[in-house]
Formats: sequence, structure tokens, C-alpha cells
Amino acid sequence: MTATAADYLSRCVAGRHGDLPETTSGTLRLDVRDGASTEHWYLTIRDQRVEVTRSGEPADLVVAGARAAFDALAAGRSHIASALLRNDVTAQGNLRLLMSLRRLFPGPPAAHHPRHLPPAGRDWLDGGTSR
Amino acid sequence: MMQEYVYVMAGNAFALGDAQGDMTADPRVPVGLFSFDTRFLSRWVLTVDGQRLHALSRDDLTYFETRFVLVPGTASHYVDADVSVIRHRSLDDSYNERITVLNHSAGPAEFTVRMEIACDFADTAEIRQPRPRRVEITPLGQEGELRLRYQRDRFCRETVVSSTAPVEVDERGMTFRIRVEPNGSWTTNLHVGMLIRGAAARDLRASLEAHRRRVSRDMREDLERWRARAPELVAEHDDLRRAYEGSLADLAALRYTPLAHDAPLPVGGLPWAMTLYGRDALITCLETLPFTPELTPATLRTLAFAQGGQLDDQHDEEPGKILVENRYGENGVFGEAATSLYFGAADTTPLFVILLDEYERWSGDVELVRELRHPTRMALDWIDEYGDMTGDGYLRYQRRNTRNGLVNQCWKNSPEAIVDRTGRQPAFPRATCELQGYAYDAKLRGARLAREFWGDPGYADRLEREAAELRQRFNRDFWLPHREYYALALTPDGEPVDALASNMGHLLWSGIVEPDRAEAVARHLVGPRLFSGWGVRTYAEEQRPYNPVGAHLGAVWPSDNAIIAAGLRRYGCDEAAARITAGIFDIVRLLGSPIPETIAGYRRDLTRYPVQLPHAGRPQAWSSGALLMLLGTALGLSPCGDNLLVDPALPQGFGRIELLDIPGRWGHADAYGRDRALAGRGSRLRPG
Repeated sequence: MTATAADYLSRCVAGRHGDLPETTSGTLRLDVRDGASTEHWYLTIRDQRVEVTRSGEPADLVVAGARAAFDALAAGRSHIASALLRNDVTAQGNLRLLMSLRRLFPGPPAAHHPRHLPPAGRDWLDGGTSR
Repeated sequence: MMQEYVYVMAGNAFALGDAQGDMTADPRVPVGLFSFDTRFLSRWVLTVDGQRLHALSRDDLTYFETRFVLVPGTASHYVDADVSVIRHRSLDDSYNERITVLNHSAGPAEFTVRMEIACDFADTAEIRQPRPRRVEITPLGQEGELRLRYQRDRFCRETVVSSTAPVEVDERGMTFRIRVEPNGSWTTNLHVGMLIRGAAARDLRASLEAHRRRVSRDMREDLERWRARAPELVAEHDDLRRAYEGSLADLAALRYTPLAHDAPLPVGGLPWAMTLYGRDALITCLETLPFTPELTPATLRTLAFAQGGQLDDQHDEEPGKILVENRYGENGVFGEAATSLYFGAADTTPLFVILLDEYERWSGDVELVRELRHPTRMALDWIDEYGDMTGDGYLRYQRRNTRNGLVNQCWKNSPEAIVDRTGRQPAFPRATCELQGYAYDAKLRGARLAREFWGDPGYADRLEREAAELRQRFNRDFWLPHREYYALALTPDGEPVDALASNMGHLLWSGIVEPDRAEAVARHLVGPRLFSGWGVRTYAEEQRPYNPVGAHLGAVWPSDNAIIAAGLRRYGCDEAAARITAGIFDIVRLLGSPIPETIAGYRRDLTRYPVQLPHAGRPQAWSSGALLMLLGTALGLSPCGDNLLVDPALPQGFGRIELLDIPGRWGHADAYGRDRALAGRGSRLRPG
């Protein structure tokens, strides 16, 4: 999972997302800055579907930041809410759309499902034996 | 003796200082001015001619406003002062202090008034030992301004202190050399801005429309309206009315409007939890539905907004999970703590479902039930997909963040809270008993929502079937027949953790207890090992780990007791519920409002007076809310279709009470009760 934000946005975001609430709808623009140039990614969310285009049109929420900040989001190394509070990205507009990005970008690559944790191997932590 | 602290608060901001109004950082208590989990003032000390001041009086006008009247010198030597000082402070999104110096002498007088100012920008999580930070200090004499600024990468926090009166500014404070006419006065307004810088040096909050709307509202009017919307309590005994009014005032003070939203929800409480805690907010809402139902939609919407979306070990996050803690401080957002959005709790997710259903029963707000269908469905799915960690059908927890995640992910979240009678700790994943009650209740309530509002009867049938199976399994595996109570928890292999603890009171509230066992459970809850005389202890006496000052191993929590009392009444154990209600109200009668988060578990006849614990929060939302829930329980308030049912069972000594204008789907309704109604109905059982 070393995809860049651009790779990830062009390949993995468009389409149906069953984990988006059906009540979430709106437009979200990501302004990815790289030196003097800025790439605009325009996400339209509606009925649990996401459409991705390249456009600098006004949007309900605009999230802007350096390419490295978006690459970290696309690789699951950064959480959108923490990135905002670190000021790695800025957000302007309807913040209620912000957490949709938590569903659209991946989590950390090495994360465990709670059922797949190493087994405890014993019943009591203090070395006591089971009765 | 504990030192007295004086606070003003607003949203997630608060200023905590001493009785003189001064603030000097203290490693034990978060003294200073805080906002967004960051300290913006760590030193704020006023002197006149080099002398500290001594308070003659103080007026706590509202939760966001305090006025001190002071004279130079200390209380130990009498001063016939020719000068006095009034400090009038208020807090909204910024902090303001108006300082007035009065000259009482017959001639003009000159004074040197100084405010010492410093800031360490500590995170609320590191008050004990704040890390050293490089703070850039800029005195701007001409502008009458002192700027203190801290930056780490692009993260920037800044305190800007400005004065309306002419002032000399240096790196350590502000000095006023003033001359005051006989019987005259001098005034300055000190304004402290707490800036969270975004790009292009703009305050992050300035770009957020919802937040601006709130700031423009007048806080006094808002407080009056808040009070007017809540029911009126008419009581024979004034201490009941005082406790009631105190609770409403505490809850008003603890409201906070999150950045992305436009309605306030309850924060945990002062001083350690001035932010959104999922569990505290959910419980507070459940406690206050008949009184201040407006807190609930904001809480549910905000928790749904931040619902878990990915598997993430650092934050103990899974899709559908409801968060337990949400902080804005530096430690959390840089990943040094897991607190920015922390999900280490197994109870918040079922409680979310329970609150939505209970809210609809009171309010009839079907729109919200429809709006929150998807997050509620995800929450219900979480219980089985991620909460049932060993596949045995029980809701369990085990932290994946082994560095700073919480060991115990239930309300008793201290590291050694879950132990058997001899002090042995079960391995992980752990299944505490009250979690099973919540899961059972959430499934039944989810079924009702699915059938009545989501048009999904098939799903409703499935949930009801699962709930029935859980109930049967639970009553088989957790019941300790020889001890006649429910085990505190099960180990991963299903062995019971045999401690006698308050958790099983929550089982009555959830309705998972078989009716023929309720009386035995009630006997334990108000028996001498669990009941201290003030309330039910978290953990019973006569077991090795019991400790009356242990937060979860003996102390008494009003929030815990409110849920237990409601559970007792659900099963018809009215006498036991009334004993608890009387004990908890005695705490607030003796200590005054706000009622603390917890008191020590000593036997009441040993100490006669409630023993406070130094780290207990006060005010605390779920503690102040507990008094309201106990009152509602004593009156037997419950919605039934479009009507409000009233079935009073008041403790002896409550006299006659009237609760007027209870809001709900019926419009407004009144409830009456008197303490004699309880006679002879203690053991009547109703099916759960």
C-alpha cells in the first residue's frame, strides 16, 4: 500500500460505498498542492455512490493540503480528523462531509480484526490456575 | 483539606483558579485557562504595588461569569484598606477580565497594578509534567498587547492578551502605573484570545459557519431559555428543589457545540473531561430525557458523524463502533496519545442504539430515527461482527493499542477494576456482565426501530431471536447459583469472574434478568456489602480487592446508582430503589451542588459525612444527570404510546413533589407524588 493519493483517488474511490450513510450527499473538493501547482479532485457523494472528476468548481467542502498529507491519507498512515487538527490540511465549508473521507480512504494497512488477535493462552493474568 | 478552586466555563473552555482569581500552574490540578484541550494561560496573577490580593467576597453570577472583590494583603493581618479591586471575569470563546481599582482615600493615589502572564501550552493530558515547549513571546507596547505563540510543524496555538487601558508590556506580563482620584476608580478590560491557527494565520474556527452562529448568541438569554424549557419542580423540601436547580445549572454549564455541528451536547465534566466522552454523553442523555431532551439529537448526530469507519489498532477503531473520547490536544493529534478519536469501549455502541430508541419513545421524533438508520444499523452489526470476539455470542473487549489504549473498555475503565473475589485478573478478551445486558437491550430496541420505522420486519425478527438466545445463554453462564448473583465477567474460556459488584444492577435496567432472580439481585444491591448507606458501591466489601477509595473497587458513583435504581423499579423492587435515591440525594444535600462524580465507599455510619475523593470531577454531566434520573425514577415516569405514565414510589422524607411541564410526545404533562405512596409495595415484582 504505497499508492499515492492521485493513484488512490483515480482507482479506488469512485463507485458504490455501502458504508456511507444514504443520507450523506454533497460535493467535496480536494486541493492537492505540489509546489506551485494544485491538483483538484472533485467528489460527488449521493445515494452511497461516489463520482470522481478533476475539477476546480466550488464544492460544499474544500479540503486543501500538501501532496504529502494526502499521500499519508491514501496510504492509511494518517487520520483525516488528526490531519485537520495538526493543520496538515485545512477545511472550508460543510464540515459534516469531512468524516466521509474516513470511509473513502483506507485504515492503517497492518490493522487487526478483533477476532484475529493472538490468543491469550490462559484464563487469568496473575498466573492463577483455573478451578 | 482540599484547596478551593473557582471556575468559569463555556463550551470546552474553562478557567480554573484560586479564590483570589489568580491562576498558577499546579501539577495536580489543571489550573489555568484551557480551550480545545490546550492550556492558553498557565500564569495569571494580579498584584497592586507588589502585593497579592485577598478576596473579601465572590459572586458566581453564572457558570461563565464570576466577580471577586479584593483588597491588597493577606487574611492574616488586618488591613484598613484605602484601595480595593474588583475582578470581573467572563468566558465565551475568549476570556475577559475587567479590573477596577477603587481609591477610598480622601486624596489622589498612585498605584502600580501588575498582571503576571505566562503560558506553557500544555495538553490537558500532561498537567502533571508538561513537556518543555519553546514559546515565542512578543510584547507589543504600542498596541497594548502581549502575544504568546507555540508552533510545531503546522500546528500552532497562540494566546493574545490585550488591554483597553494604556499599559507597559514586557515578556512576563503587563504593568499599569495609574493615578486614581479621591473616591474615584480606574478600569481596564483584559481580553485573552485563544487562537488555533489554520493556514494563512487564520483561526481554524473562523472558517466554520456553525460555530460562528453559536458565538453570536447571547449566553445569558440562552441560559434563561434552557431553564425555562426544563420542567418546574415544586417540592415541600427546599433541599430537593435546590438539588434539582443545581443539576440543571450544571448541565447547562457542561454543554458544548462541536465544530461541525450547530447544537450542544454534554461534555464529560470539570476539570479532566471537558470534551466529548461517548459514554458520559450517552448516559447523560439517557438520564435526562424527561427533563432536557434537547441534548440527545446533538449527541446522537455527533457520535454518528464520528462513527468508526476502518480497522485501526492505534485508535481501537472498527467499522460501526461509537467513540469513547474525542480530544483536540497536541498529544492526540500527533499520535502520542490515542485520544483524538478513541474507540476503546465496548458499551458505547449498544448504548447508542438504546438511546435512539428511548429518545423516540419520549419525543416521537421519527425523523431522527430515519435519519440515523444507517449508523444505527452499523452499530448493531458491530456488536456481532467485532464485539463478539471469540464467537461465543458474548460482547467482549481487548485493546489492540497496547501502548496507551484502555485496558478495561467498560465504564469501570481503571486498569484493575475487573477482578475476582481474590484479586485475580481475567485474561482478554473479557466479557463483563453489564455489556451483555446492553447488547440484549440494543437488539430488542433495534428490532422495534426496524419493524416500526425502517420497514424491515425480517431484520427485526432476527434481532429478537438473537436477543432471546443471548438472554437464555447469559442466564445460564453468568448466574452463580450458590452465591445467588451474576458473575462480574467471563474469562475467554467462559469461566465466571465471581466478584460481587454493582455491574449487575445495570442488568435490571436492561431487562435481561429472569424475574425470579430479581429479588436476590436486589437483596445484594442494597445489602450491607454493596450498599454503603449513601449508595451502591462499585465493588462489595469482604472481598480482597475492596478499597473504599478505589474508584471502581469500592467508591460510590451517582451515575451508576441512577441506572441501578431505574433497574430496581423496572423489576418492582421499589423499596430498594427508594433507599438508593434517598442516599444519593443526601450526598448533594450535605455537599451542595454540584454533586461529585464519585465519593468514597466508607460505611455511612462510620463517616457520617460523604468523603470526597481528590480526583473526582465536579461538576460532571452524568453525575448531575443522575439526580434527574433518580427523580424521574422515583416518580415512575415512562412513556406509554402518546401518554406519560406516572407511578410514584418516593423515598420516605421526600414529602409531596410536583414536576410540572414534562416535555414529550404528549406536549407537556405534570407528575405528582408523595412519599406515603410507597408503604407496603416493596416486594411487588413485575416481569422484566
